[in-house]
Amino acid sequence: MKNSLIPAAAALALFAMTLAAAPPTIPAKNYKLSGNPTAAMTVEVYTDYECPSCRNLYMQVLPNLTAEYVATGKVQLLHRDFPLDMHKFTRIATKYANAAGQMGKYDLVAKQIFATQSEWAPDGKVDIAVAKVLTAAEMTKIREIVKSDTHLDDTVTADLAQGGKDAVNQTPTLIIVRNGKRTKIDGFLPYPVLKSYIDQLLSK
Amino acid sequence: MKPVYWKWLLLVGRLGLALIFLAAGIAKLREPWAQFAVSLYGFKLLPDDMLEPIAKTLPWAEVALGVAILSGIWLRWFSFLASLIISVFLAVLIRSLAIGLQVDCGCFGSGEALGPMTIVRDSSMLALAAAVTVGAFRMHKTHTVK
Repeated sequence: MKNSLIPAAAALALFAMTLAAAPPTIPAKNYKLSGNPTAAMTVEVYTDYECPSCRNLYMQVLPNLTAEYVATGKVQLLHRDFPLDMHKFTRIATKYANAAGQMGKYDLVAKQIFATQSEWAPDGKVDIAVAKVLTAAEMTKIREIVKSDTHLDDTVTADLAQGGKDAVNQTPTLIIVRNGKRTKIDGFLPYPVLKSYIDQLLSK
Repeated sequence: MKPVYWKWLLLVGRLGLALIFLAAGIAKLREPWAQFAVSLYGFKLLPDDMLEPIAKTLPWAEVALGVAILSGIWLRWFSFLASLIISVFLAVLIRSLAIGLQVDCGCFGSGEALGPMTIVRDSSMLALAAAVTVGAFRMHKTHTVK
């Protein structure tokens, strides 16, 4: 009996070590993801912080989508960063949003960055815009993360890679995932039209 | 030119026009209707509540018109209708280009940014549709007189 327990314990220990050593495939809490994990549909939103249509989508469409579908558990919402090379300061804006995500302030800061797009887009002074919604202590922390976290852009790299697989070539782009099928919609869509399309898919 | 050549020329034009409408309709139907709604929205001409019905019906109408032109039945009237539809599209495209809208044409599915070449192409399509219409009317007149 004792002899048979030794290999089992060794195997268990090896399994535990493997689990500990393997890099996590998904973060413990993905701050870009919101809603019911068992929702029938996921809407993935590729945006660029400097893109005006993305701002419109974020300010006009996503609040309604969140209230009507995400908060009610029907849809899971996933933000994906897709910074375009043509936009000079979108990378720094993305860093601030993701640093805020690490601090549990993603939605607040992402919304502020989009809302103040016209203020920081000409000169890249995202810091000033973000400082309006965070405390001094939070700003100190966010600046530190932006300055020194070498893994801050990891999610951006992952989003861009997924964007390549989804053949994303503009922002905003929505990927609607339903029953394993990924349906791409390029461009801005008014909320009533998007709602009708989502309802149609959910009814199938 | 001998009448028989006109007949063949009309047949070629008719097939070309039919293929254009079939291609445009099928390309849109292969995508979600919401994608065509994005293009329609981009032209900033339609009220939001008209986007969905038009995005859902226009591609089918294009396919139906393509089939009707292909069949040759009432060709003069269907090619005349095609000319009118292309004229409307062309007017919308010219207006959009003139006011500097950066919009996905959506003409043959998504992914084509509106530009001068779009206008050249649609003008050529209008010329073809008009030629088929004139040819069909003349052919009908000739047959009726005989």
